[in-house]
Amino acid sequence: MAKDRKSEDYFGPIRRLLVGLIVFALLGVFLIWRIDSPRVERFRAAVIDRVVPSFEWAMAPVTGVANLVSDFQSYQQLAAQNNDLRRELQQMKAWKEAALQLEQENAKLLDLNNVRLDPKFTYVTGVVLTDSGSPFRQSVLLNVGARDGIIDGWPTMDGIGLVGRISGVGQRTSRVILLSDTSSRIPVTIQPSGQKAILTGDNTLNPPIEFLENPDVVRPGDRVVSSGDGGVFPADLLVGQVALGSDRRLRVRLSADYERLEFLRVLRARAHEVITDPGGLLAPATLPALPVAEPDVAVEPADG
Amino acid sequence: MAETPTTRIWLGRSIFLAIATVLVFAQLLPLDTRPHIWAAPDWLLAATLVWVSRRPEYSPILVIALVFFLADLLFQRPPGLWSGLVVILTEIIRTRAKGIRNMPFALEWGSVALGILAITLVNRAVLMVVMSDQAPLGLTLIQMVMTIIFFPLVVVVAHFLFGVSRPALGQVDNRGHRL
Repeated sequence: MAKDRKSEDYFGPIRRLLVGLIVFALLGVFLIWRIDSPRVERFRAAVIDRVVPSFEWAMAPVTGVANLVSDFQSYQQLAAQNNDLRRELQQMKAWKEAALQLEQENAKLLDLNNVRLDPKFTYVTGVVLTDSGSPFRQSVLLNVGARDGIIDGWPTMDGIGLVGRISGVGQRTSRVILLSDTSSRIPVTIQPSGQKAILTGDNTLNPPIEFLENPDVVRPGDRVVSSGDGGVFPADLLVGQVALGSDRRLRVRLSADYERLEFLRVLRARAHEVITDPGGLLAPATLPALPVAEPDVAVEPADG
Repeated sequence: MAETPTTRIWLGRSIFLAIATVLVFAQLLPLDTRPHIWAAPDWLLAATLVWVSRRPEYSPILVIALVFFLADLLFQRPPGLWSGLVVILTEIIRTRAKGIRNMPFALEWGSVALGILAITLVNRAVLMVVMSDQAPLGLTLIQMVMTIIFFPLVVVVAHFLFGVSRPALGQVDNRGHRL
């Protein structure tokens, strides 16, 4: 803004004041964010809600062209892939037959035992608008939001496996924190051993399994499903398979195709029912006054 | 050329704003949602520093503050901290722009690299002090080094594509004002 010397002198102090104000405002926003995060995060969601959909028209063609290029690259492998798929299909037909018979048998047995099954989930499908735009965060933005009834915390899947959970809902958009994000922690069960563990995102494609009680009974290739512990997720959503990482840690090879997340299903998970009633039979609400001396009762189990 | 200095400045500013917007949205494109083991350079920061050190009048502080604050919000960074640091750095460079004009390029590169290093470290230190979530250290360092390495490339592109070159000594604009 240095047009000539005179105007510079004139403008200097005002400019310095402006710079100070801007820096003060920006750092102030940061402090407010640190102190009162939800409010600023709501503001962030509102800004994203306004900005991103308005750029959809520009993003769609670019993304489309890029996908076209990568699709074109894969044409050369297409013939080989086709053969492989045909062979696989033959095997799958046999498996399908077996699965159908097992399903019927399973249904019959469940019916005989009067097992009450969870009703199937319904879902909302959204299109991925943007990714997080930073190498440090693993999240994507969907084009469904509060308008479509999306609620914070709902699980998100692609066709096959779990992808992440909703974290941050705007009016028209919502953010999905992927399982690979460093802040993602999901309680999982490893089948068939039934071991419970926590799947911890660490910014890699294969997140490690932590807090495993007995690693000896877990083998590479075991299925990992969500456990439903802590009411974070509904149980039995497929996450992936156990694999042994090059650092000798147990990791999960995710079933969802992270290479190309395009359409995601947001499952409508209902809140877990919490049992607050202590159970009238075992512990009556009003305890009758005990005539017996307390210490005797307390000592007795210790002796036994 | 028939354009007045005012239109030239406003044209330069709108070009800067357009480039910044394109860079932000290029980063947001959902081309690859897999995690990376390395980080690409921060093109937005590199471009801003080139513009500020070469043609400060094309990159006004309000535009820089606005673009970086928006980037903070869109990229899920702690809002305000990084943009505040960038504004401080650009102001420091801006006050020295006249001196930088006379430096050899290596020295200009070195001082900008020092600035990038400083704000990266301060950013990390502040996040540590307020005990906030941090990005992995390795990735941060890779991104910082990449940004510094690719700075000359951005300089070249800015020079030949957008005409953002250092004003020569004694160069004047159409009305005879010194640049």
